[in-house]
Amino acid sequence: MAESICRVLRDGALEGEHAPALTIKDSIASPFGFHVFSHVLSQLSSFLFAGKSQSRGLVIVSFSRSPSFYLELLKSKGIEVVSSDKRIQILDCYSDPLGWKDRLIEAGSFTALSHESSVSSTAIVFKNVKYMDKLYNSIIELGRGLVGGGKNRFSVAIDSVDEMLRHASMSSVASLLSNLRSHDQVSSVFWSLHSDLHEDRVTSVLEYLSSMVASLEPLHEPANGQRGDLEKFSLIEHNAKKGKFHARFKRRNGRVRLMSEEVRIEQSGINLTSLSSEGAVNQGLAPKVQFNLQLSEKELIDRANVVLPFEHQGNGKPIQIYDGRRSLVDSKQERPVAVTEKVQTNEDSGRGEIIYFRDSDDEMPDSDEDPDDDLDI
Amino acid sequence: MAAAKTRTTSFSRNISTAAPSLGPGLKCGPNGTVFVSSGIPDLDKILGGGFPLGSLVIVMEDPEAPHHMLLLRNFMAQGLVHNQPLLYASPNRDPRGFLGTLPSPAASKDDKSRQRDPDQEKGLRIAWQYKKYFGENQLDGQRDGKHEYSNEFDLRKPLERHFLSAQRVECVSFQDCPNLSAIQDHCATFLSQFPRNDGNISCAGRIAIQSICAPQCEYSNMEWDMLSFIRSLKSMVRSSNAVAIVTFPPSLLSPSFCKRWQHMSDTLLSVKAIPDEDKELAQLLTGYQDMVGFLNVHKVARINTQVPLILEATTFSIKLQKRRFLILECLNQAPVDGSSGASYGTSGSCSGSSKTGNLDF
Repeated sequence: MAESICRVLRDGALEGEHAPALTIKDSIASPFGFHVFSHVLSQLSSFLFAGKSQSRGLVIVSFSRSPSFYLELLKSKGIEVVSSDKRIQILDCYSDPLGWKDRLIEAGSFTALSHESSVSSTAIVFKNVKYMDKLYNSIIELGRGLVGGGKNRFSVAIDSVDEMLRHASMSSVASLLSNLRSHDQVSSVFWSLHSDLHEDRVTSVLEYLSSMVASLEPLHEPANGQRGDLEKFSLIEHNAKKGKFHARFKRRNGRVRLMSEEVRIEQSGINLTSLSSEGAVNQGLAPKVQFNLQLSEKELIDRANVVLPFEHQGNGKPIQIYDGRRSLVDSKQERPVAVTEKVQTNEDSGRGEIIYFRDSDDEMPDSDEDPDDDLDI
Repeated sequence: MAAAKTRTTSFSRNISTAAPSLGPGLKCGPNGTVFVSSGIPDLDKILGGGFPLGSLVIVMEDPEAPHHMLLLRNFMAQGLVHNQPLLYASPNRDPRGFLGTLPSPAASKDDKSRQRDPDQEKGLRIAWQYKKYFGENQLDGQRDGKHEYSNEFDLRKPLERHFLSAQRVECVSFQDCPNLSAIQDHCATFLSQFPRNDGNISCAGRIAIQSICAPQCEYSNMEWDMLSFIRSLKSMVRSSNAVAIVTFPPSLLSPSFCKRWQHMSDTLLSVKAIPDEDKELAQLLTGYQDMVGFLNVHKVARINTQVPLILEATTFSIKLQKRRFLILECLNQAPVDGSSGASYGTSGSCSGSSKTGNLDF
């Protein structure tokens, strides 16, 4: 399923449509957002280098990690980023986001260190993170530099939107992201976010702006209750390595596809497997009604025990009508079948008795007498 | 063009003056209101005629699906087909681009239905005494092809260019506006073309505002300002011969403001996305494969009357017939599978569903 996310990003945007955008969100309970981000990044890069993706270049806007980290990461996945082969560019917003070094140099209290030459050609330092429009222009410039003009497209990976939101307002960040999506030359965009660092509105805005949302949740919810320390510890340990990975895809026909997988963190990256059934509790839309159409075990047994006042009980015994004056067990003779009047059935739980009292013994059936003759009117 | 009035009460008004003459695309409704079509014939039927002039329609979007755009497209296209001026505002840099996606009216559906009638009449000879009632309905439905009140729109065919001339369509982008005063002025000047005075209504106007609280707008966290814009828009529209439709995603507003916006509306609709390949839903509802979303009607505008409109059903499924025509259908519950022991009863979302099941004739 993470494969389908990567595939969507690889296939990119159609003509006249907004580019697909992915939000990767996590929280402290399951903090594997960056692992997923690196996974998606390395997948997309491998597609890019193999020539299978719509985009011809990738711009990584790095806020929370240094550019050398990304170069190392890609190298470990077998992708060598050579400065001559321009397919990946990193916009470095990590080293000096607010341009302090320049100001310190101006003030004379700082001597500039020489940059590492291997990094500087692939990474451009950006110093104005407070100005989202400048950031936008730099991203577009870098991207154009990679792929040229015209119809060629490039992808954008934003390390962490949290950092952007520290420096700029929500509406400017949202405007940057939506402008990126609607730019003709952008093939796909993806970013990561820690949802518990922000208000709910921020998360909902980013979900509104994206076409896919991948969220990470703990596999076992830690219950706030009286649990033994040992249990809590094992839970934390469990959650430290595994988690649930949910994805919501907004499809073109207006439907939403939901998928879930289990994610396990390993040395070399992440490992995604299908969710084990014990975890998945599917809250369906099946209606809940007020009456119970199913019988429990006990109720089934009790129902079987009820003695019905019908002619035969279905168990092979001779026909007997219980008329309230003899117990059923005693009578062994056959009695003439008399037409009974209305019988009241009373289903008690437990014994299942039917209590019936005949009106009167003297009464002969089909008597010619008018019963109203007794009345004195 | 005096339309046949549907009798809802046993009292009949003694109208001494002639009914006001109306331009194309307008229909007289009960209580002195005049309707314009929403562009979706099914929706007009559900709302009792269409959108009344002077009302504010609010559509609550679902951030996961673009169905509100379908409603907007049909609304705007219907207005252009009837030569009603349109003001369209959106958070995109280039709102004119959206006009290219407006659908064109479906061709000659009338001819097909007219052809079918003589055949139908032969088949219904047994029930001939009911023909007099059929006649009434047909008169309403079939009019001169050009001036039909409500068109079926073919979503695959784009609207002809001559409808989109600048005189009729005004586009406004509010992405770079620091506040809403610019749009408010636009709306005010637009609505001044359609003042309401008792008499003939030659022309009605339509305003379509898409995603007014989109996050890329600078004013999107100024909730009181947005609310006061909605209120002033409502009052301006009420005193003119126009209908305004405003869409917004409720998840981007705080809950109390979301409620306030809902109360501001005269007609309140909401659209919802449906999960893909959901086996439970597929079992519960017939026609699940063709559905693209749900439409809920929360409130229907009632102007000049105290009597509310109580609908039989408030949830409808949005389907694209032949991937071209937008139709709204009442939700039908699938027949209960006895072997699996599923229970009856209505589910939470489908109120008043009819239980015709798979055997719909």
